[in-house]
Amino acid sequence: MDRNSTGLVFVLPALIVLAMLIAYPVAYTGLLSVTDRQGAFVGLTNFKAVLSARATPQAFWNTIWFVGGSIVFQVILGTATAILLNQNFIGRGIVRSITLIPWVVPGIVAATTWAWMFHTEFGIINYMMTGSGIIPEPIGWLTNGNTVMPVLIAINVWKLFPFVAIMVLAGLQSIPNDLYEAARVDGANFWQEVRFIMIPQVRSVIVAVTLLLVIWGLNSITIIYAITRGGPANRTLITPIQIFRLAFESTQFNQAAALSVIFFAVALVIVIIYIRALASTPGEAK
Amino acid sequence: MKFKTLAVMATAMTMLTSGVALAGEVVWWTPNFNEARARELVTKFEQANQGIKVKLEITTTDGLPQRVLTALQSGAAPDIIDVQHAWVNGYAQNGLVVAVDDVLKDREDYIPASLDYGTWNSKLWAIPYRIETHAVIYNKGAFKDAGLDPAKPPQTWDELVAAAKTLSKGKVSGFAITGGGEVGNTIFRSLPFIWMNGGDIISADGKKAVVNQPAAVAAVKFYTDFFKNKQSPASTLENDGTANRRLFIAETVAAYQSGQFDVASIKKENPKIDIGVMQIPHPAGKPTAALLGGWSFVIPSSAKNQTEAKKLVAFLAEAPNQGALTDTFPARKSAMSLPRFSDPILTVFKEMLPYGRAAPNNKNWVQITQAYFDGIQRILLGDEDVQKAMDGAAKDIQALLDQK
Repeated sequence: MDRNSTGLVFVLPALIVLAMLIAYPVAYTGLLSVTDRQGAFVGLTNFKAVLSARATPQAFWNTIWFVGGSIVFQVILGTATAILLNQNFIGRGIVRSITLIPWVVPGIVAATTWAWMFHTEFGIINYMMTGSGIIPEPIGWLTNGNTVMPVLIAINVWKLFPFVAIMVLAGLQSIPNDLYEAARVDGANFWQEVRFIMIPQVRSVIVAVTLLLVIWGLNSITIIYAITRGGPANRTLITPIQIFRLAFESTQFNQAAALSVIFFAVALVIVIIYIRALASTPGEAK
Repeated sequence: MKFKTLAVMATAMTMLTSGVALAGEVVWWTPNFNEARARELVTKFEQANQGIKVKLEITTTDGLPQRVLTALQSGAAPDIIDVQHAWVNGYAQNGLVVAVDDVLKDREDYIPASLDYGTWNSKLWAIPYRIETHAVIYNKGAFKDAGLDPAKPPQTWDELVAAAKTLSKGKVSGFAITGGGEVGNTIFRSLPFIWMNGGDIISADGKKAVVNQPAAVAAVKFYTDFFKNKQSPASTLENDGTANRRLFIAETVAAYQSGQFDVASIKKENPKIDIGVMQIPHPAGKPTAALLGGWSFVIPSSAKNQTEAKKLVAFLAEAPNQGALTDTFPARKSAMSLPRFSDPILTVFKEMLPYGRAAPNNKNWVQITQAYFDGIQRILLGDEDVQKAMDGAAKDIQALLDQK
């Protein structure tokens, strides 16, 4: 036994576990997508069925909106918070801890609480806004086709911006002080420090965090499912929820598998484009 | 040598974790509202059948369909599961449960619609034990305040519309419909109106979507107009049956459709309300209708102790035991004469039972109802008028019916 094959023996258990937990489900999903309930091969029938459903394109666009909208605000708000928390002020430790709360709260708890707060009749948000005269009568935040998606994006941003903030803050703290001192000697003000030192230095962190947010966003189901279940009239139906509904509410496991395969391909393309576009940009601090 | 010890230990561990239920021990999943009564019945059964042990596992209704489905698919299911009637056909068509024709006794004693649900391929796949339908629960005080006679509730659609109009003033909504929550809430409340008007969602042979035909469209218009005309709360699109009950308890809703299970919690949370119950109003000259709901026992194909499980199900299906276990009404007519079902507030709910119909047994029923529900929501959102929304729903449903 040479050195290499000895090493192989040691990683074998881990490889077997990985294969069982990842490769097998992936392969099995592929198999399910081209068979029927009895396991007979049916070609692309399942793909045709899911692609012809009216909900599929709508869910796809909703997913783009939800993920795109969430990420833009998560990154902007998270980075701004990180820059703020990087300053010296009294009570910084406490503020840093409080900022983390939304991220620590379990998703289902947060979602249910928000659903209640936004409820037309019982919700505290309508109560406070009508009470103070900002709006004349209660708004159906979660039932109005124009407000429901922005509200869900806002909740998702609230939930995940602390994660961005903490990651960027860690990046900011690793910037050597010399850079700031040199900039100040040159007469740079705060905004110039942000623009020419902080942002370029944490760029790689933001790129990595955004990629994580894209992946999480494409998989997110908790917040929307707990609040609207994809309604009203599919206004907030995103593809992961459509897959969940097909499999576990309609027991159409084969169609759900077909949709998963399509979604996997789309997600893969998005991630590859993203990595190509951002990781290869010249001038990045390595 | 060492490897052998390890293998033995691993096997022992696996057996310890997966083999908690011993052979001969029947595992029965029942929802939490059945727990106390189920325990009594289990004790009785164990005394009569020495050698069979029953292990009760308590489930909760929230998320239960997913949990049951996962257990059935995993191949390591319990021996008996309490499920809602409407779920049974999906299990039967996927080969997840076993036929129970040999367990059923006194077929003619059962309310026929309850057996319709569990039937597929001319075999019976579940034993129903609990049935219920909706009626309309109303606030007698609100009727008096509005100048209506609480002893003479509306009987026809026109009378209901007139009453809802009179009852709706200030913060009070006259007749609350549902337009949110789980799909089933709105199916249970709107499908009976379609039925009593002579329409349906799909044709009897399951080949054609008929939800955009005049009879169905008129009924959907009747249903959704309560919201359009502001007789149902502004929050209708996010309200399910539970939300309507809470609004009724808060006295902002004067009448809504529900089952007898709501009565106890209304009495407890707002004892001031004088509760009235009326039959679901029908179009003049046509009989009323209701969707029959309730619970059945299924025995999973992967159950380890099917013989013992069948014995227990047969025991639970005896009329007095059904009468003891059910939270609402028993599926057997002979059990209905038990004293607990003679409470006067139950009278109207009992009168509704013969009008109860089973939902169609179509393998895509959940998706069909989802397409129909999306149409209802489009109407409530103001996106589309009734005819257009139901045309769209019919197109989606037809595509599902044409699938092989």
